[in-house]
Amino acid sequence: MTVLLWILGILALPVVIAAVWLTGVFLKELFSPSPPDPDETAVAAEQRGLLPPERQDTEHSAPVPAAWSAALEAARGGDWQPAAALLHANGRDWERRSSIVSLLGTFAAREDGWLTAWQTARPGDPDAAVVRAQGTVHLAWELRGAQRAGSTTREQFDGFHRTLAAAREEIARAAELNPEDPTPYVVEVWVALGLGYPHAEMDKLWAQITTRAPHHFAAHFAALQYWCAKWRGSKRLAAEFAERAAAGAPPGSLLTALPLIAHFEHDDTTDVAVDSTPEMLALVDAGLADAAACAAADPDRPGLAQLRHLLAYYLHLQDRHDAALEQFLLVDGHVDALPWSYRGDPAEYYCRVRNETVGAVAA
Amino acid sequence: MGATLRALRALVLLLGFYLLSLVLLAALVGVDIAAFTWGHGPLVFKLGFVTVLLAIPVVRGMLMLRTPKGDDGPGIDVTEAAEPRLWALVREVAAAAGTRAPDRIRLTGEVNAAVSEDPRLLGLLPGPRRLYLGVPLLIGLTQTQLRSVLGHEYGHFTGGDTRLSALVVRGRVQIGRVIEQFHERADGKVAADRAKQERSAAKRVARGKKAKAVDTSGSGAMYRVMAAIYTLYAKLYLRASLSTARGQEFAADRVAARIAGRDATAATLREIPVLSVSHGFYLDSYATLGLSARLLPPRGEFFGGFGRLLAAREQELERLRTELPEETEDAYDSHPPIAERVRRIEALPADGRAADATGPALALLTDPRRTLAALEDAVLTDEVLRFGRATGWPELLDASMASGLSAARTPLHQALAAYTGRPPTLAALLELVDDGRLWQVADRLPLSPEASAARGRARREFARPVLRRSLRTMVLAEFSARSLLSWEFSWSRPAEVRLPGEPTAPSGDGATDPEAALEAALDAALADRPDTGALRALLPPAPQPA
Repeated sequence: MTVLLWILGILALPVVIAAVWLTGVFLKELFSPSPPDPDETAVAAEQRGLLPPERQDTEHSAPVPAAWSAALEAARGGDWQPAAALLHANGRDWERRSSIVSLLGTFAAREDGWLTAWQTARPGDPDAAVVRAQGTVHLAWELRGAQRAGSTTREQFDGFHRTLAAAREEIARAAELNPEDPTPYVVEVWVALGLGYPHAEMDKLWAQITTRAPHHFAAHFAALQYWCAKWRGSKRLAAEFAERAAAGAPPGSLLTALPLIAHFEHDDTTDVAVDSTPEMLALVDAGLADAAACAAADPDRPGLAQLRHLLAYYLHLQDRHDAALEQFLLVDGHVDALPWSYRGDPAEYYCRVRNETVGAVAA
Repeated sequence: MGATLRALRALVLLLGFYLLSLVLLAALVGVDIAAFTWGHGPLVFKLGFVTVLLAIPVVRGMLMLRTPKGDDGPGIDVTEAAEPRLWALVREVAAAAGTRAPDRIRLTGEVNAAVSEDPRLLGLLPGPRRLYLGVPLLIGLTQTQLRSVLGHEYGHFTGGDTRLSALVVRGRVQIGRVIEQFHERADGKVAADRAKQERSAAKRVARGKKAKAVDTSGSGAMYRVMAAIYTLYAKLYLRASLSTARGQEFAADRVAARIAGRDATAATLREIPVLSVSHGFYLDSYATLGLSARLLPPRGEFFGGFGRLLAAREQELERLRTELPEETEDAYDSHPPIAERVRRIEALPADGRAADATGPALALLTDPRRTLAALEDAVLTDEVLRFGRATGWPELLDASMASGLSAARTPLHQALAAYTGRPPTLAALLELVDDGRLWQVADRLPLSPEASAARGRARREFARPVLRRSLRTMVLAEFSARSLLSWEFSWSRPAEVRLPGEPTAPSGDGATDPEAALEAALDAALADRPDTGALRALLPPAPQPA
């Protein structure tokens, strides 16, 4: 009997050891999954010169021109002259004017001593006035925070609304000082969003913009947000606005990005089939042609990077990996753009999708 | 269900409580016997100890037979000789309801009317009756509505409700007490307020501590289990007695409608919640306005002012009357929702009696002013009665606001004191502002997490509203300290401050409006590039040190 038990015991030992080992592995994976092996695709991406997440710039969608950075740096030091010179030299390039004003306004929302000095030195300067208005609107949005309405406190909303209301006067002043400039009105679209302008008032504001700059990318980008369901419009209103804008625009105006954004903003499925419909394929193709036209005419145009980010994303979802990679290679390094910027960690998200593309191309 | 049957059920339910207690005691004894028979060692004694601990509240609950005598509450008793018209009305309604008139009438300061009876022999024999009548009701109701209220209360007697209710109430109180005891023990402490009520504070606290000292073996959980058992029974008890209680309310409403008319009764039902809310508001915002300044309204006005408030806010009240409070039905409340009661009354056939043609019920009193004054003496505590008396309501407001302002400690006061380490004064603050150090002070304000996380301009924007409110208070306090402020008293609107130089009636002239000037000066003082000049110009010149 004892002998039998011994034999059984010896036979059972390997089984028990195997079971213990399996349980250990299982538990370990359950509580602390081992990191995936150093991702081959990440290595492959790096070999192509693509940057890892920690080296992606999450503040901008494209490199900031050196002259702009210099002006900003001077403003940080309290010197407003380079900023004034930059805007003056830019003249009537409304697209770039919007971008510069937004860049300077972002800093003015934090510290505005330099801007106050500028306005004191040149009280009637329309450039300073529009930066002032933009700074106040940025400040309002900073007070609100980026959370949904439910997670935003009373205090945040009060500050948001109070500051937006103050910005309206500054916008009016900037518009008055430079009647041809659409920029103050583009800034006002973000006020319309926050204060909830009625549609009729938004249409009036829109007319002010389009008579001055019919195909202004930043204006269209902002207005599309207004027409989205999460702000003051609906899925249908947003889609129609985007379609109208894209249809009426000459190639190279980048407005083909709008239908893609409208689709992205209202796509709450996890199903990729909706991103590969013939309509979506056509929209992406139109976007590719638009981007190519723009790149040929003005490769540094603001908004081009945003369009390329969207194209890369949808080309990836449509399994058109070679074309997607081409776009990724053109924009890599700056990821503050849709569709990444809504995520908590945009660089991480961007790199994951990009690396999958790299992997698919290599396969 | 007749009165006898209801009495029987109440008795059965009350007996059920004793049965439950006996069963639980038997179970505890059973546990002990089992332990002593089969167990050994210290465990047995521990178990025995726990069962004894658990048995104490059960036994105490069974022995506490006496229903706590309801305190009469503060009020004044009025004799028939002193108030013949009130008594006549009370007797007339009692006769119409077909029941005995009360033996005493007590006027109270609450928005409530009740008739109580101290029945003898567990409610089998009638006892003396008392009518409690809240003076705020007399102020707010017309005479017809008062008849309706009285009719409702007498309706309870014609149904025999009050006599039987002694049993029902006893059961409720007793079960409640046992549950409470268990919870107290489980928490290891005696609820302070209850101890205070029961005057045997020292004894109870001592007992509570003792229970806590030995409460080491999870008997807290055992207490809770026991409490849960009693809670279950209490729910059964309440459910069984509630349908009756609610039926009684509806029946009493019908008696009221028969006596005072359908429309008057419906109007009364709508009126009472409105009076209740308004009276609470009146007490908070008017009657007790001067307490912090140790001041009372003129004699007789502590309750009397309520009538003025009702008259001034008539329109506001009318809206409240039309929209009935749709409270969610509480499964254990003995009163059905008021909306349901109004619906039932309004569904009765019209009786052709107009809702109202009579004057206010207060006019029934021989000398309302004297009664209101006497009620103050009876209801207010001696300490409060020793407070000063303002000569009028506007004077009361001025004095209270001045006292409130001089005692004000805004967040800015605290931040300023924290920053300078000195008593916070407006002069010190303005100096800091001129010195460009306002935001160092602002950093010491209590900030929300969002505001603390913000930097630069965003942080300043978060702090600015707090700063502005506080600074305004500080400036007003400065005016007030020089007796330059007055306040506009109103029964229908919140009090408004009148700044020095402000005309009594708003002139609409923006340029010389001191209010606008003050706002602009505050804005300038708190701007990113502060300018205190305008504010300093507004302030009265500082008294020169002698």
